[in-house]
Amino acid sequence: MIRFLRSLGGQSLDRIASLGRATVMWVTALWGLPRAGDISLLLRQIYNVGVLSLIIIVLSAFSIGAVLALQFHTQLSRFGAEDIVGLGLALVLLRELGPVVTGLLFAGRAGSAITAEIGLMKTTEQLSSMEMMGVDPLRRIVAPRLWAGIISMPLLTAIFNVVAIYGGMVVAVEWLGGDPGGFWAGMQDTVELWDDVGKGMLKSVAFAVVVTWIAVFQGYDTLPTAEGIGLATTRTVVVSSVMVLAMDFLLTLSMYGDFN
Amino acid sequence: MDDSSENLIEIRDLSYVIGERVIFDGVDITVPRGAITAIMGPSGTGKTTLLRIIGGQVRPDRGEVIVAGLDVCKLSRKELFELRKDMGMLFQSSALFTDVSVFENVAFPLRVHTDLPEDSIRDLVLMKLNAVGLRGARDLMPSQLSGGMSRRVALARAVALDPGLLMYDEPFTGQDPIAMGVLVSLIKNLNLALKTTSLLVSHDIHETVSIADKIYVIADGAVIGEGAPESLASHDSLRIQQFMNGSPDGPVPFHYPADDFLYDILGDASR
Repeated sequence: MIRFLRSLGGQSLDRIASLGRATVMWVTALWGLPRAGDISLLLRQIYNVGVLSLIIIVLSAFSIGAVLALQFHTQLSRFGAEDIVGLGLALVLLRELGPVVTGLLFAGRAGSAITAEIGLMKTTEQLSSMEMMGVDPLRRIVAPRLWAGIISMPLLTAIFNVVAIYGGMVVAVEWLGGDPGGFWAGMQDTVELWDDVGKGMLKSVAFAVVVTWIAVFQGYDTLPTAEGIGLATTRTVVVSSVMVLAMDFLLTLSMYGDFN
Repeated sequence: MDDSSENLIEIRDLSYVIGERVIFDGVDITVPRGAITAIMGPSGTGKTTLLRIIGGQVRPDRGEVIVAGLDVCKLSRKELFELRKDMGMLFQSSALFTDVSVFENVAFPLRVHTDLPEDSIRDLVLMKLNAVGLRGARDLMPSQLSGGMSRRVALARAVALDPGLLMYDEPFTGQDPIAMGVLVSLIKNLNLALKTTSLLVSHDIHETVSIADKIYVIADGAVIGEGAPESLASHDSLRIQQFMNGSPDGPVPFHYPADDFLYDILGDASR
């Protein structure tokens, strides 16, 4: 029993210490940017985590938009309400699926890459050698990736939403013969700039901060072994995904308020 | 490194423990300015950790580590990074940046710490690469280099800013005889040419003895011998003799502590 309690206490202390290290790293790295000289580092990372994630985001968005339109159209046409397919699609994507699916895809594509890259730099002593050359890896390596993630993910979410709505339109209007006027008019009448678009983007910023933070920290704090990098990469994807889903519930609860 | 005292590094009463393992227990080491000082000892005695402590990457539990008049343990993060600009370190794994060329690796410290124009950076990098014999390899990527070449590039990068202190972590490990000879002469020549202070951590006795001015032998968390290479060769301590002669058995036993061998094999029947 005592051994169990001791191990429980030990693990809790480890978690708290890890959270402390993550916070110190986050604050130090965020404090470090942006400076004029670091812009090229930042742009390179925006390319790595943002531009290189475009293909998976666009393909997923198109197929999710198409599938949603297919389902909405099938169900709503039974009640003669095909005209609100566009509206339903827009609300579901802007408020929920856009930020959440982008967050999950970003964690899998860019988050894992960031963790593996920083982890391997640590394992091969590149971070140590940088420190010994008087260059702070938190500023040089961690900060550009952190900021690149925070800047890229909301942009990717916006692109996801646009492509998904377009995919839905292709299915609902072009393929299944729905009325284009009804498709767009329902959307224009109901979608609010702040309530739907703004709050969705705000969610995306929150997910961006958390996912990129987890990714850089897991890489920076990894055990410098092959096994350590494998574990850290897995942890990035698993913890980020769970955090995105859990945060989405809490954010929806607080943003869209009164459910009674 | 403005301080002009006789010793560049003074370590006093250094103690460091990881978990329950004592790495250092009251170690005193001084590194004279301008000389090559070697820290020797069996694997796992904390030689690399000592370099990390001097570089401020690891904080000891007790003791003072004075580098150029500054106590490394008491410096802020910013002061530490400032001090490190005057230190060069050659890592055992070379630690080259794998995403950029040999040229960019050597240019890195110059680009970060100086405002020199591109022409001057190019000239300096080529001079450093020429000193290690790899001017022609400037466009290669680190993955295209052999182990010996990697270490020479890392050496060129370590001396890019002409540091006052050069630290070498096991520079000869895993090198073929020719690469080893090249490194030995490079370390000696760089020390003379740059008038720098060198601290070398190694367990390659022959090579280290041939270039070191002063040697410390550490084992079990303490300094067990110190002095000029010649004086250690004729030291009366059995432990030092075992180490210097590379004898497989002696005060440092060949066998890891274990039960009686016969008992392990035959069990109670052996009694």
